Amino acid sequence: MDLSGRFGARSGNGVPFREVTGLESLHLGGGDEFRQMVLPENGGGFTALLELPPTRAVELLHSSSSSSSQATLHSVGTLTFPSNPILMERAARFSVIATEQNPNGNISGETTTSSVPSNEHIKTEPAETETSDQAAVEKQNNRCGKRKDFDKKVKSSTKKKSKSSEENEKLPYVHVRARRGQATDSHSLAERARREKINARMKLLQELVPGCDKIQGTALVLDEIINHVQSLQRQVEMLSMRLASVNPRIDFNLDTILASENGSLMDGSFNGTTMQLAWPHQVMETEQSYHHRQLQQPPPQQWPFDGLNQPVWGREENQDHGNDHNSLMVGSASLHPNQVKMEL
Amino acid sequence: MASANKPINTDVPEKDVFALHFLQSLSNLRRQNTFNSPEKTNDRVKKIKKVAYVSMARAAGGTNRLWSRALLRRAAKENNKVVRFPRRKKRVTCLRRRRSNRRDPVEEEEAERLRNLVPGGGGMEISKLMEETAHYIKCLSMQVKVMQCLVDGLAPK
Repeated sequence: MDLSGRFGARSGNGVPFREVTGLESLHLGGGDEFRQMVLPENGGGFTALLELPPTRAVELLHSSSSSSSQATLHSVGTLTFPSNPILMERAARFSVIATEQNPNGNISGETTTSSVPSNEHIKTEPAETETSDQAAVEKQNNRCGKRKDFDKKVKSSTKKKSKSSEENEKLPYVHVRARRGQATDSHSLAERARREKINARMKLLQELVPGCDKIQGTALVLDEIINHVQSLQRQVEMLSMRLASVNPRIDFNLDTILASENGSLMDGSFNGTTMQLAWPHQVMETEQSYHHRQLQQPPPQQWPFDGLNQPVWGREENQDHGNDHNSLMVGSASLHPNQVKMEL
Repeated sequence: MASANKPINTDVPEKDVFALHFLQSLSNLRRQNTFNSPEKTNDRVKKIKKVAYVSMARAAGGTNRLWSRALLRRAAKENNKVVRFPRRKKRVTCLRRRRSNRRDPVEEEEAERLRNLVPGGGGMEISKLMEETAHYIKCLSMQVKVMQCLVDGLAPK
């Protein structure tokens, strides 16, 4: 009926109080429907109930004002919430704020419905219901976001994130929804925003480090990350040691090797082959001495590189004069960056 | 409290940028006469390692990242050079919030260790630290790949 329709439509509403006046159109027959929805299954019924803002549900009850519907709620309430009377007082405090801005609201009948959704929360978190105007306004805004949380909260009271936390990341301005029953002063809000930032970044890091997805708990994840960074640094050190040991053997060759290495490293994003082809030309142009000419011939021949030729060449070079060797290195060393810049 | 939340950017340049920087600095290194002759491999190792880090820092974003900036500054100090960084529009040092945002002792010891590992981590808040760590990890792995390729090419077995 239109009751269920209203129930469904209410969930996304930001300002519940506008519809309060529409409640008078609801007739008592709706109360039967309501009862039917409430009775068969506690969880389902209450979630349907919880889709409403508490004030509206209260109005619903109040307009029907039949002791029957209230009685059913009471009975159902007592079935599920044994500590109801204790909570009613708290809920009354809570709903005082809720109805602060509702001109039509009556405080008397509200306690039952308010106790229903807030029960779980009050058990787990102490309700801070400071009645500053700011807090009340915020609470009202929060309620719209919390309505989405009600399903979750009733079923699992230990969820720590507010539902809109994921949406927050995209907005330039973070609207932090205070969880129901939490302090809404600026300190805890800032704390919460910071927490969410940290968690987002932690997720990033978890994706980076292999094997971190399965670990639960921030401390262990951080341990993994630290281990990963340390292992990477150790790898760098080891590789640099290997490079250092490899170097003296291949004194001069390095540059041609660098050329070929570039071909293998930059797989297609950088055309290493053209550099290789252009290399012999440059070698011929810039190197003038006998030793240089001597080298001109080997490069084209040794272009298809095999490891055997390298040390031979290196040894040959070693036998030559050190000066020429060095100048050669300088020459070819300067060639390499120039050439690379050309190709780029 | 509302704060601006842009998507976290941890882009890292391609492998060839790293390779290029590293190879250039390696060839520069070879030009030094003292490099190849001495038998002391430790010096060479240290130099190569330093070169690796510096080239990584340059390739990965120069002075746009806090860790690369700290790395370059540290390296320059060893050489007694003065490094000048272009002024950025935002303030580099984030304004310390009045309320101490670094609470939570469980994370703090881990954060301490991270700060020791990641260059420039001393002055950062945890969220910024984690951002820098992510970028640092990416760059480190890229540099490791480049060096591995080089070593494989130079000494194929």
